[in-house]
Formats: sequence, structure tokens, C-alpha cells
Amino acid sequence: MAVELTLLVNGAKQVVSVDPETPLLFVLRNELKLTGPHMGCGMAQCGACAVLLDGEEVRTCVTPVSYAVGKQVTTLEGLPVLWAAEKRLSATEAAKTLHPVQQAWIDEQVPQCGYCQSGMMMVAVQLLAKNPNPTVAQIKDAFTNTPPSPHLCRCGTYAAIIDAVQRAAKAMKA
Amino acid sequence: MKIKTETAGNSCITATITRRSFVKIGGALFVSALLPPGISSLAAETGAALDPTLLGSWLEIRSDNTIVARTGRTETGTGMSGYYAQAIAEELNVRPETISLILGDTDKTPDGGYSAGFLSGMSNLRKVAAYTHQALLGLAATQLGIPVSGLGVVDGVVSGGGKSISYGQLVEGQHLDLKIPVEGKLPQIDSTEWMGVAGLEGITVTGNPPMKTMNQFKVMGTSYPVPSISDKVTGKTKWSCDVALPGMLHARIVRPATLGSTLISVGEIDKKQFPAAEMVKRGNLVAVVSPDEWEAVSAARAVELSTRWTEWAGLPGSENLTKTLREQKWGAPSESRGKADDVKTALASAAKTISSTYEQPYVRHAPIGPFVAVADVRSDGSVTVWTHSAQSQGLRTRIAHMLGVPLDKVVVRWREHSGQYGRTTFGGDGAEADAVLLSQLTGKPVRVQWTLQEDLAWSTASPGWVSDIKAGLDSNGRVTAIQSAFYSPHESDARLLGAILSGMPTTTSKPGMWIATEWPYEKIQTRLEEAYGMPNIGGDSAYGGLRGNIMRTPGQRQQNFALEGLINEAAAAAKADPIQFRIEHTSEQRLIDILNATAKSAGWESRPSPHRGARKTGSGAVRGRGMCIMLRENAYWVGIAEVEVTPVPGAVKVTKFTIGVDPGKVINPRQLDRCMKSGVVMGLSEALKEEVTFDNSNVTSTNWSRYKILTMEEMPEIKAVQISRDDKGFGGGSEGANAVVPPALAAAIFDATGVHPRRIPLTPEYVTRLLKG
Repeated sequence: MAVELTLLVNGAKQVVSVDPETPLLFVLRNELKLTGPHMGCGMAQCGACAVLLDGEEVRTCVTPVSYAVGKQVTTLEGLPVLWAAEKRLSATEAAKTLHPVQQAWIDEQVPQCGYCQSGMMMVAVQLLAKNPNPTVAQIKDAFTNTPPSPHLCRCGTYAAIIDAVQRAAKAMKA
Repeated sequence: MKIKTETAGNSCITATITRRSFVKIGGALFVSALLPPGISSLAAETGAALDPTLLGSWLEIRSDNTIVARTGRTETGTGMSGYYAQAIAEELNVRPETISLILGDTDKTPDGGYSAGFLSGMSNLRKVAAYTHQALLGLAATQLGIPVSGLGVVDGVVSGGGKSISYGQLVEGQHLDLKIPVEGKLPQIDSTEWMGVAGLEGITVTGNPPMKTMNQFKVMGTSYPVPSISDKVTGKTKWSCDVALPGMLHARIVRPATLGSTLISVGEIDKKQFPAAEMVKRGNLVAVVSPDEWEAVSAARAVELSTRWTEWAGLPGSENLTKTLREQKWGAPSESRGKADDVKTALASAAKTISSTYEQPYVRHAPIGPFVAVADVRSDGSVTVWTHSAQSQGLRTRIAHMLGVPLDKVVVRWREHSGQYGRTTFGGDGAEADAVLLSQLTGKPVRVQWTLQEDLAWSTASPGWVSDIKAGLDSNGRVTAIQSAFYSPHESDARLLGAILSGMPTTTSKPGMWIATEWPYEKIQTRLEEAYGMPNIGGDSAYGGLRGNIMRTPGQRQQNFALEGLINEAAAAAKADPIQFRIEHTSEQRLIDILNATAKSAGWESRPSPHRGARKTGSGAVRGRGMCIMLRENAYWVGIAEVEVTPVPGAVKVTKFTIGVDPGKVINPRQLDRCMKSGVVMGLSEALKEEVTFDNSNVTSTNWSRYKILTMEEMPEIKAVQISRDDKGFGGGSEGANAVVPPALAAAIFDATGVHPRRIPLTPEYVTRLLKG
């Protein structure tokens, strides 16, 4: 049965009327039109749907929307807002500034099909918040062992992701 | 105002500017292309497709000096859209970032064609640009009063004699009528064709317009960014899964209990629990629809429990696959190359012969995003489908055939989605037929989202195979003759599953196999290659059983595992270094150069395999290295693997992989580097982990813990080596990398243990069995 829930998504308050058991993914995509997170396996096995909840990765395909109430939700679309808040950028600067992780993903030409990359960028943001200077081994660990399950890329862009995380790490320290 | 009729090519006819094309093109430069005799009725046949006789269908130059280019070929993730922009920019002398591309929409593009064949797609657009360039120079000569020979173009600005004018200024408010020859046709149903559809290769631009030589390139050969990447990273891309239409229903399919079960009775929807959900069915296509996606999911799960199906157990079980293939009566080969008598004689007189059997189970494309499609079947019978296909025109043809409607009733709009890795190359396989039929039945737009379990069980797969291969060696250990036979269920069942399930018309699909190997050893000319095909395993089920389809580097990926395995075994028999052994069997300098360059990058030590310290027992790690080559589409590939094998418990750790390629002219070095390294990841995944398992009724590897693919942590250091040449044309660099991994890995395990694997995946269970002998 639909109930009214208030969510905090990408820095903005959103009121939705949904069954509280609805996976957060469907609410983000269908109600809020935030299509960055993607439907992958539907069972927390791949990471395509990952977003940050209070800075920690969750798999939205298996997370009921009610679980997100009272927490800060960050999707791919919200990464520039996150960065602008962190760096206290002016509105003008914020409007033209991507999160360094996104910029690195572009500069390193990471995506092929790109379907999994929203989730990959979530891991990178979370990792770099905790460890600003990760080694290759730590990056591999963060994408493989730390999350609920390994983040999978079928195109095989793992090497590009490692390059991009290292590039973003440098940019964020600058 | 029409100011001039330019011509290009030999025989030219002034085309009429139709109102439709005029409207579509607006105030932009319009150039038309000439169709050769015999297919002049193409426009009528293709209905809503753009007329390929009109260059305005391919290319527009707008008054602001930006360019729009259109092709029915699509971006599959390896970067071809970037290469298309580079080719156009090169011939028009414009910056590639001024070009925007319209890809894959059947009503907005002229040519159709395979997305995988980016070289032919690029050739089309490059020629179109070259013809246009000549026409623009002629126009500028008239406007500026300077002969063409005195004009030059930089960044879309024509200059000469102290005057200059931009392309945009040249074309503003004007039309240029230019003829460009094309040949070929768009897809149409043809039951005599292997795939049941003719014309999948699409339209080809012909003639020889003046084009730059490779040493004049300024844009091709540079690392121009693939255009779609920025939007994918910022969330702006509108993927096929993002299409949302007013009144749209979300659908989930209720799959048959087994791959052959037919419907007995459908379950009921509890309307109290799911008030907006509805059952929809046609034949054995059963679905639940709702305006709310979560309700559709939940109701479908409930209905699935109470829906009854017949039993079916027509599969052999994956553990019996090889036995099943061995028991098959194969008959004559589908394709045969070489001379049987010569090979027989050579093998009989050889100083030594080596025989091997190689094999692999079923593997599959397994994208991260399962199939999704949106369809809108309107009351006037018109149909629009939004989806990700590598063959939009072929898909459109199949859908029109399924519905029994004229082709011009159907439009396919292409959107980005998860990689397809070959499975939509022929325009089949996907959620499109489901979406179309459900939209027709409900009278509303319908979005069908498959689950991962459905995708891993019901989509097409790359069939398992066995190959018997034999070499004759002379007294020096050199290979004098090779005989190979490749056996596989067919790899090209591109029928629409929704059509099959619902009992609607499908295209035909003829079983067969082909020889995919391009022969890299010109000093081994006595050879016989045979490829044998059979129908799908379980093919007598209502739905075709395990439907086979091509997958990245199809046929050659499998056949090269056998060929290069045999060459490595022969090198070992000759106690020769595997690289030196290959150099002795070729005089192709390109192959020799890329072998040497890749070996140098890898720090290859010249010596025979196995390694002196090779060991196949014990729980301590033993190291090895191995290599292989491949020739594919004018590209010479080398793979070098380094491994650590722990005999007990049969663990294989890849520590480094070096890959080299000479694809002729490298179009985009950075993107090639990305494709090489990612292809290695896919190849390692296949070599180490991947296997579709099935019992007697169903595929059982239906999630990521059962269909395992490589994780980031398992990826070794990967080095990539490129050789670019200005005198050898273009080759296929984006695809083939995955295929040089399995043979190199097998050779490395041989080097480490003294035992040569002849099967992938190299799981601990298999490696343990192998080493125990």
C-alpha cells in the first residue's frame, strides 16, 4: 500500500508516494527520474544499481525505499553536488564542475558500453573519501571484496577504472 | 535556390529533391546519392528508412558549420562512433567535435548494416565525406572565384587567393545536388538465406572519390575521445531502459518451467494485492503488466507459482555435452577448405604426427544489463520499438514479418544499453518481440525488462564445441601439414524468442558452421580445415532448446584455441621456442614484427616449453609463460601470458598478460589500448571461469555466483603493444583481443606443469583432473 515518504536525494528533499517495500532503485528511476543507477542482476550481485547512502554503498535493487528515509542518498547525478558541497564551490562554479571521479572517468575514457559505470563511480567516491591515496591492490580490493559483492564489468574496463581512480585521487588532493 | 549540379563518379543522374527530404534537411547542404540500376525501387521497399540515394540522408552541414552524420550502424561500446567521426572529419577537413552522429534509428538513417563491421561502416561515411568535400570545393571555387586547385580547407573554412568562406556560409540557404554511387539493399525476409533475412550487410557506398592517403591523416590516428562517454559519465545518456512513454505499462515475463514446457494453465492475479496488474498471454508467452514496475514484478512472482506447464527434459546435461557432440551424426561438413588427398599423403609421410582434441562448454554474452525494450503498437498499426540492437534494420524486418505488416509500419529506435557482444548482430535475440506483442495485446506502450535469471537462461549462447586437430612434422620438427575438424551446434539462431513463444511467424534459421580461421602460417600450405554444424542442442523442444548465437570473435575464438594449441604442442615436440617456431613458419613481416615487439615488451626469454622446473604435483606454486597468435581482419595479434600454477589444488593465477596488435593503420591509439586491455579481461574470464551449465530441462547457471566472470581483483597486469602502419590499410582492432587469451594461457600452464590443457575453462577442478592425468 502506498505511503508518503520523504527522501533526501542529491541534496534535495523529495516526497514520494509508494509502497515502502518498493526497491529504492525503482523509486529513483521511475518516480524521481534519476536514471544513473541501472537495473542489473536484481539480487545485489553486480553493483550496477549502487548508490551512496550517507556515503556508504548500497545496492538499490534489494534495498526497500523505506530504508533510505532519513539518510542522504547520492546517485550519479548528485556527484557534482556532493563535490560542490565538499569544496564549498559557488553556484556558478558548481554548475560547471564535475566530481573529480566523473572527470577522471571521462579523461581516462573508461566506459565502453558504460552500463555498470555509475556503480563503479560510487565505489570510487566512497574509496577516495576514506583513502585518498589508494594503491592498485587497495583499489582492486575496494571494487572486489569490500562491497556486498564484486562490482562486475562485462566489457572488461577494470584497467581503465584503476587508471581513473588514481587520476581522481591526484585531482582531489590538488 | 539550386545553384549547381555537381557530379562525382562516372554515371550520374540528377536526383529530384523530394519534399520529404527537403523538410528533413531544412536549410542544410543537401547532396544526393545515385543508386545503381536494379534497386531503384529501394525507397518504396524500405518505407520509413531514409533514401540512401540522397546524401542529405547521410550528412548535413549546417549554417553554423556543425555537421550531422547518420548511419544505421550503432555504437556497441568499443568506440566505432568515434572512428566514424574521425573518418568524416578527416575527409572534410573539419574538427571531429563539430560532428554529431545519429545512429541506428531505422527512420533516421539510410544504410542499415552490421554494427560489428565498423570498417565497412567507416568506409561508407569516409567516402560520403570525401564526395561532399569535392562538392564543397567546387561550390567554394564558384563563390570565391578561385579555381579548386588554389583552395585549401582548415577546420571547415575554405581559403584561397586571400579569400575565405566557411562550409556553413557556403551552404546557407542553398542546395547542392551530388550523386554518389551505392549498392546493396536493406534487410528483407529471405528463407533461402542462412539467417532467414537477406541484406543484413546493408548499403555500401561505392566509387573512388579522392581521399587522403594515410600519411596525410591529421585526425585518424589520434586519440579522439569516443563521443558518447561524457554523457554516460554524467548521467545524461537516455538508455533504452530509460524510455518512458505516457500510459506505459511495465511487464515481467512468466517463463515456462523448462526450456521446452508448454502452458497448461495460467495462474491468477490477486487483485486485492495487485489491483492494477493484469495477465497478458499469447500462446506460451505469459506476462504480467502494470503501470507500476514493482507491482508488475511482485505480481509476476506470485503468478509464476500458480502457473502450470508441461514437463520437458530434452537436454543432455552439461556434464554430458562432449559425449553428446561425439555421438552426433555430423554428415558432410558445412564448410571445407583445402585438399584432403594432399593432407593425407603429407601426414602419411610425416616424420612424426601430433593429434589433439580441444573442447569448450557453452559460454554466453552475459551483459550486466539484461534485455530491455519498449514498444508502442498503435491503433493505426504503426509500431515503434526503442531498444539496443546491433542490427536495427534486421530487427525491424523480423518484427514486421512476425506481425505480418508492411515494413514501413515498423520503426526501430536505437538507444544505448549494456553491451551485446554479438548477440544482436543478426537482429534477433532480445526483448523486442515480447514488448511488441504485449503492446499489441494491451493497446498501450509496454516496457519489458528481463531479469538476469531469464537472460542467463533464455537468451542465446555461444555453443560448446569439440575440435580434432592433427599436424605432420618433418624430421626437423617443422609442420608440414595440418588437418582440423571443428564440430559445433550452429551459432546463428537469430529468431525472436517472443515470436517463438507466442507461436507467431519467425524467420528461418539454417544450422551450419563455418571456418573462421584466417591462416597466419603461409609456410604451412598443406592443410584441410572442416567445420561441421548441427541444430541447437535440445532443438526439438517447442522453443529451439539451447539457441546458439555468435559471440565476440565468433568461430575464430574457438578454432584458434585448437590451432594455436596444436602449434604450441608442435613447438614443444620440436624443442623450439614457441615464438621462434612461429617465425619459422611465416615470412609475413608484419607478423614477425609484432611478435618481436610483443616479446620484447613482455621480457620474453627464448627457450622451449615446458620450463626446466615444470612440475605437476605439490602445493607450491610453479611459474610458466606461453603465447599464441591470430590473424583476423587484416590485424596480426600476439598474446603472451604469464601464470603461477599451484598443482594442489589446481589453482591458476595469471600474473601478467602482454598483448600486441598490428591492425594496419591505428585509428585511435588510446581507444585501441582500452579495447585491447578490456578484451584481455573478457578472454581471461572465458579461459578461467565461464561455463553455461544445464540439467535435462533448464540452464542452471542463472546468476553471477553460478555463471562466474572475472572480477577486478583477478585481473593481472596487462600491457598492450601497438604497431601502426601507413601502407597496409585498416584492420579490425576493437574486437579480437579476447581470442588470444585462452591459447596463451593454456601454453603457459603447459610451460609451468608440462601438461597442455585442451579444454577451457581452466577451473581448479579441471586443472586438478588434468594434472593428475
